[in-house]
Amino acid sequence: MSIIEVNHLTKDYGSGRGVFDVSFKIEKGEVFGFLGPNGAGKSTTIRHLMGFSHPGLGNTKILGMDSFKDYDRILNKVGYIPGEIALPQGLTGYQFIDMMQHMYHVNNKEMLDKMLNLFELKENELKCDTKHMSLGVKRKLAIVTAFMSDPEVLILDEPTSGLDPIMQQRFIDFVIEEKKRGKTILLSSHIFSEVDATCDRIAIIKDGRIVDEFISNDLKHASLKQYRIRFNDLNDYEKFINEYDKNIINILKEDKEKLVLKITCEDKNINNVIHCFTKYNLKEFNNIKETLEDYFMHFYKEDKEFGGNF
Amino acid sequence: MELKEEGLIEIKDLTKDYGNERGIFDINLNINKGEMIGFVGTNGSGKTTTIRSILGFIKPTKGEVYVNGMESWKNQDKIAKLVGYVPGEIAFPDLKTGVNFLKSQAEYKGITDLSYADSLIKELQLDPKANLKRMSKGMKQKTALVAALMADSPIIILDEPTTGLDPLMRDAFLNIIKREHQKGKTIFMSSHMFNEMEDTCDKVALISNGHIIDIADMKAIKNRNEVDFKIEFNDAESFNKFIKMNFKIIRIQEKYNQCTIEINKDNINDLFLKLDGLNVKFISEVKYTLEKHFKKIMEGNNDEK
Repeated sequence: MSIIEVNHLTKDYGSGRGVFDVSFKIEKGEVFGFLGPNGAGKSTTIRHLMGFSHPGLGNTKILGMDSFKDYDRILNKVGYIPGEIALPQGLTGYQFIDMMQHMYHVNNKEMLDKMLNLFELKENELKCDTKHMSLGVKRKLAIVTAFMSDPEVLILDEPTSGLDPIMQQRFIDFVIEEKKRGKTILLSSHIFSEVDATCDRIAIIKDGRIVDEFISNDLKHASLKQYRIRFNDLNDYEKFINEYDKNIINILKEDKEKLVLKITCEDKNINNVIHCFTKYNLKEFNNIKETLEDYFMHFYKEDKEFGGNF
Repeated sequence: MELKEEGLIEIKDLTKDYGNERGIFDINLNINKGEMIGFVGTNGSGKTTTIRSILGFIKPTKGEVYVNGMESWKNQDKIAKLVGYVPGEIAFPDLKTGVNFLKSQAEYKGITDLSYADSLIKELQLDPKANLKRMSKGMKQKTALVAALMADSPIIILDEPTTGLDPLMRDAFLNIIKREHQKGKTIFMSSHMFNEMEDTCDKVALISNGHIIDIADMKAIKNRNEVDFKIEFNDAESFNKFIKMNFKIIRIQEKYNQCTIEINKDNINDLFLKLDGLNVKFISEVKYTLEKHFKKIMEGNNDEK
């Protein structure tokens, strides 16, 4: 049995908005990345999984239970971080934690303390009204309350948006730890480095439809590297172009004016490439990282036209 | 209105003490006309408090802020006319659609020509007719950006404008902000994304626990004379030979036969000559970034404590 299942989920909000025939499964111990542009349907899918919305067609299941019908049974087995945090006002951080503990019937002080420490929520921050908390502090509070019951399933909608880089890294480390402990995790994010570091499989959603799904390792260990080299003079630049070994180096782009070449080579040939470089006078040498971001930018391209409404 | 060239925004010994060590303390910052200044810091370090003080929303405990020579707290209304502001948390008034909101903002700011707003809407691919309450995060941010820019105000202040945006939309936002800067606007922007500051800002201020601890000049960071390379070898023999070669080694990971060196940009040929004959697994440049610069400072700061 898959821990998380989305089966032909469709919810049509009209004007082409919504999600259409979305399906995926997440197995135990897997971290599943869910990527796509703003408004593509990530949060809509996630809100169905949490049982907040009734599907138009299809269904979603967590631990074999229907998200919508068995909403109350699923609730305290799932840690959920919403994309936009709206905390009730008139409560302090401590009171909010108490409220959530009552609601979810949890009292795991050890886990709570661990989370508060990990995300550096200090006493002075927790004592103040949620109304006066900064965005980052609210986000941390949402993370702490989502995890304090030590749930086996984690559904995270842009969990680190608004966190500073130090806390983002801490969050990534935490997700990796939780994965080792056998947690099943759905992670939606725009921050490619965090998807790259944590996810086993990744699905891309665009305009309400899943357009690609793949195993992330295939991308991570690309051994083909891209370099940018700049020569000191035109003579060397031309000499290189005339005599480079086409079996080990491939020239992607030439810029004669700047004396710059963009080349690719396999890591296994790097020693031959280094030897080749010694014959020329290089001014600069950089490598260009091929990232998940470059790879997926084309899924983000939008083609809708708006405007002229005044 | 005539604008001050020097110190268009002046923050002088600004302190807002919320008690329990929360707040901002003795902040000093000068922003000249036409400058684009970034503002970074950990969560809860005081970025939003500083920004809201510039706009005159907060009465300082001590010190003051001047925008074009006017003290902020006493001149909130006048300052609102000079500044386009995108808040970090967007709370729209109780209006039905984006169009209603933008029209009410235009009225408030006395704008009659909406052609710039319209071109921004097109550029951002925003559907302003959508219901305000049902807008996704990205749509809300787009609407707020249009509202902030449509008056063509000379000063633009943005509090984490790109948080939660997808990469393409982030680029669209940054391009618009950059263009405003090129038009001569004075810009102050907070963010957690160091890379977007690197590409856009003249200077970046770092705030930590309510204190500004560094103001980095992006030119100095970009035009560094040294370059760092991470090199991994296929065998220990090559690795051991290499580390004895008098390169400045800044990091070493023996178990992977890996090290990171710092060399002068002019010595790249020398590096390849020395590497020739050794068994290299890979070589990659480690970029010196704003993030690293600040990390160094933060670590230094912690050591002092």
